[in-house]
Amino acid sequence: WPVLISVICSPPQNYPLYIRSIPTENELKFHYTVHTSLDVVDEKISAMGKALVDQRELYLGLLYPTEDYKVYGYVTNSKVKFVMVVDSSNTALRDNEIRSMFRKLHNSYTDIMCNPFYNPGDRIHSRAFDSMVNSMMMQVC
Amino acid sequence: KMSVPDYMQCAEDHQTLLVVVQPIGIVPEESFFRIYKRISAVSQVSVRDSQRVLYIRYRHHYPPENNEWGDFQTHRKVVGLITITDCSSAKDWPQTFEKFHLQKEMYGSTLYDSRLFVFGLQGEIAEQPRTDVAFYPSYDECESVEKRIEDFIESLFIVLESKRLDRATDKSGDKIPLLCVPFEKKDFVGLDTDSRHYKKRCQGRMRKHVGDLCLQAGMLQDSLVHYHMAVELLRSVNDFLWLGAALEGLCSASVIYHYPGGTGGKVGSRRAQGGSLSAEAGNRHRPGRDRILIFFLPSAHFLSCFVLGALTSNGINADTSAEIGRAKNCLSPEDIIDKYKEAISYYGKYKNAGVIELEACVKAVRVLAIQKRSMEASEFLQNAVYINLRQLSEEEKIQRYSILSELYERIGFHRKSAFFKRIAAMQCAAPSIPEPGWRACYKLLLETLPGYSLSLDPKDFSKGTHRGWAAVQMRLLHELVYASRRMGNPALCVRHLSFLLQTMLDFLSDQEKKDVTQSLESYTAKCPGTMEFITLPDGLKLPPVPFTKLPIVRSVKLLNLPTSLRPHKMKSLLGQNVSTKSPFIYSPIIAHSRGEERSKKIDFQWVQGDVCEVQLMVYNPMPFELRVENMGLLTTGVEFESLPAALSLPAESGLYPVTLVGVPQTTGQITVNGYHTSVFGVFSDCLLDNLPGVKTNGCTVEVIPALPRLQISTSLPRSAHTLQPSSGDEISTNVSVQLYNGETQQLIIKLENIGTEPLEKLEVTAKTVNTKEKLYGDFLSWKLEDTLSQFPLKPGKIATFTVNIKVKLDFSCQENLLQDLSDDGISVSGLPLSSPFRQVVKPRVETKPINPQESSKVGDFSHVKTLEAILNFKYSGGPGHVEGYYRNLSLGLHVEVEPSVFFTRVSTLPATSTRQCHLLLDVFNSTEHELTISARNNEDLILHAGECQR
Repeated sequence: WPVLISVICSPPQNYPLYIRSIPTENELKFHYTVHTSLDVVDEKISAMGKALVDQRELYLGLLYPTEDYKVYGYVTNSKVKFVMVVDSSNTALRDNEIRSMFRKLHNSYTDIMCNPFYNPGDRIHSRAFDSMVNSMMMQVC
Repeated sequence: KMSVPDYMQCAEDHQTLLVVVQPIGIVPEESFFRIYKRISAVSQVSVRDSQRVLYIRYRHHYPPENNEWGDFQTHRKVVGLITITDCSSAKDWPQTFEKFHLQKEMYGSTLYDSRLFVFGLQGEIAEQPRTDVAFYPSYDECESVEKRIEDFIESLFIVLESKRLDRATDKSGDKIPLLCVPFEKKDFVGLDTDSRHYKKRCQGRMRKHVGDLCLQAGMLQDSLVHYHMAVELLRSVNDFLWLGAALEGLCSASVIYHYPGGTGGKVGSRRAQGGSLSAEAGNRHRPGRDRILIFFLPSAHFLSCFVLGALTSNGINADTSAEIGRAKNCLSPEDIIDKYKEAISYYGKYKNAGVIELEACVKAVRVLAIQKRSMEASEFLQNAVYINLRQLSEEEKIQRYSILSELYERIGFHRKSAFFKRIAAMQCAAPSIPEPGWRACYKLLLETLPGYSLSLDPKDFSKGTHRGWAAVQMRLLHELVYASRRMGNPALCVRHLSFLLQTMLDFLSDQEKKDVTQSLESYTAKCPGTMEFITLPDGLKLPPVPFTKLPIVRSVKLLNLPTSLRPHKMKSLLGQNVSTKSPFIYSPIIAHSRGEERSKKIDFQWVQGDVCEVQLMVYNPMPFELRVENMGLLTTGVEFESLPAALSLPAESGLYPVTLVGVPQTTGQITVNGYHTSVFGVFSDCLLDNLPGVKTNGCTVEVIPALPRLQISTSLPRSAHTLQPSSGDEISTNVSVQLYNGETQQLIIKLENIGTEPLEKLEVTAKTVNTKEKLYGDFLSWKLEDTLSQFPLKPGKIATFTVNIKVKLDFSCQENLLQDLSDDGISVSGLPLSSPFRQVVKPRVETKPINPQESSKVGDFSHVKTLEAILNFKYSGGPGHVEGYYRNLSLGLHVEVEPSVFFTRVSTLPATSTRQCHLLLDVFNSTEHELTISARNNEDLILHAGECQR
């Protein structure tokens, strides 16, 4: 089952810090999917802006379904976004599983940020992060 | 089955009357649209004697199969037809009129009224007053068009009112016809028309229809009531399609009530404009001969008098009386959306109602956009995307994607909007299209730029971190390149490709870098990239893309002239300058003016007419060799002749120094503000102000008037020794000479003026440096007068200057000589060799032959002493001299002095007195010349070359 995991920089740059997909061919299509999903993320964040920022849920839920994929989103307090694209027919994935995957992703990202040699905004090149994403993808596929 | 969706529809359109305006016969397109524009300006008409306003929707094209859905939603029904025709002779008139009738038949069943506008016909026929035909001599003389249209609309209104009243009154009657949509017709054949169910269905549908008519007639509240009733009736019989329509009617009426500004965006403004126009037109045209028409009102007018009378006397129909509170009938903004959802879900049950469903989605999205509920709007749009109509034509696909894009834009989903617009663009040039519309494709692609956070100005990308999603940005740029190439605009193609290379360099893989530059080079072979703005037909200007990253420049340093060419200011004048500037030696205020580092002046000067240099540290970020051609300086202030250079930088080179040169042609301040290059056939002007992270030592320097240039050549060989002068001056030429002690040699210096200015003044000074040696007599001596007599020296002329070099040095007390002496084994007790007594320059004249072995030993150059001196030539001339500048040229003189004689043996002979003795010295002449040794109280001794005497 195709799957994609990406980490996207906070605005205004909004470029992907990390993007991994299976299969790797036709990745550009995934790029478009994730890129357009940011509209929904922005909208959801701005809608939440009215609510208390501290208490808000980081998990944004299903951003939008397409014919073949489901796009889920998660946003940290620093507006770094995690977007995951999974196959629509993959019924094994419930909201709870997705949510916990995002948590893992967030924790791993936090580890990267703790690295004094990492500049926020740089693309992520981390073996630990890679292996975490790998294991996550194995679990989903 | 209705097949052509109107993506522009909005909820307010439900209250409009559809009028089709069409040409018949041959009408010039331009003329037709001029008239069409004037007609469609009359889109809003207040009906006389009532508060109601009628809205008209004009179309110049309307598919008749859509008209068949007119009973389902009356705003889809063509109720008016206006035809425009060009008829110049009365002979053609009957034929023209026949065509008009044929055209009417096309929409015949639904038309309330029609008009024919004839242009060009004059004479008898034109003079006959007719209600359905208006004659105008030409397209320019038709002032009364608007008035005619208003009258026409009034006539439409009368018919509408009569229909409305007609339908509204025969309520619950026994013979309510069943309204149906085209595809239902066959389903109802043989249905029991007497059943309760059937009757209810008829009632419900009719109720809904009346609601539509009320809405069109400007009776919003009444329509709401009718719709509510229709919903109840239709729900009870599960007539879903019509229930959907009733719900949608309810939504439309509520939207009109809640949002008087309109939901269509553009439509709102058009409406306002139309209103004002029609009012104005009315004011203008009411008086005058147009009045005549009023006397010949159509028969419908009589009817209208009757209808209006009926209205005012009977009041509003009983059913729609105020028994139900008005506000209650209107849906709340939230309910509107819920009802839209419900309606759409009912439409969705019918495959043939795809267009209706799609349009309902579009209408709902427009409402949601006004309500700023983007998330829900996107759900509606998502649904709309998946509504399958049928095999769409390419043009329809483009239209569909475009409208999706527009709607996404409206709800603030810029990326999604750009996504669909891009698909629409691609569709314009789909391979299945026989004539791909690359122009349209390109235009649409340009419109997607903001959605991808792209602009076409490279300055937006020169500072800070990259913005936006590079992968999709690159894709778009590639598409722009391709589209512009297919459009046959190579300049545009080069511009986009340059932009891609400049702004996306960091994201391109090595292979992509190669590919992009290769295609760039192939395009620029035909059309080189320039620094000109490219203006597109629609007025968009594409700024030039200078390649500031090919190569990347890290620092720019203006270099001083070589020492020999550096101008100096006459001391006295300099002093004055300083004193006039400020009374303070130091002031902290000066520190504040240091802010502008770029413009800061440099403390050296350049000279007019002399080659000046600027050093750039550059590096090549490409994975292959980068050829930079025509690299030169960009300057302002002084006329500057840049001498461009070509360079070739190795792949991913480190910092690489490049020196750019040029010649200032005039005097004053010169500012180096950038450089120009030609890389891959693209000419770039890179301004330093736009380059981040470039280090400079200041870019402004003063150019002083021209000075002559002096070149020195001497009779002596050049020296490998370079003098390190104390004063910081550099020596331009070094010459060396070997002399034996005591020798005198003439140094002939040729002074050549290689500049362009006459050499007027010359001063010569000499300075001996680094000498611990004791020097006897004048080392250097000259007579300047001889040279000065040849002045002023014209350019290209040579003067000579003679310097006498004379060396007299003390060679005594040299270590190795001492060594020789001690080796000799002769005791010289009581007379230490180091005693000052022995330190005589010209030793005593006792000579003694020496054995050849020893002579080879002493032939060593270890005894050589050096003398160094600098000859300074201060010279000036031309305009620079007038300004008080001079140049300094130094000639380094390196003189190696060898001792001419050696004392190879020292011995003593007892003299006649015991208190004295004879000192015997073996003197060796190491020169190739004959020499004379003179000592005090002794006659001169002549030594021949290599001779040794005692």
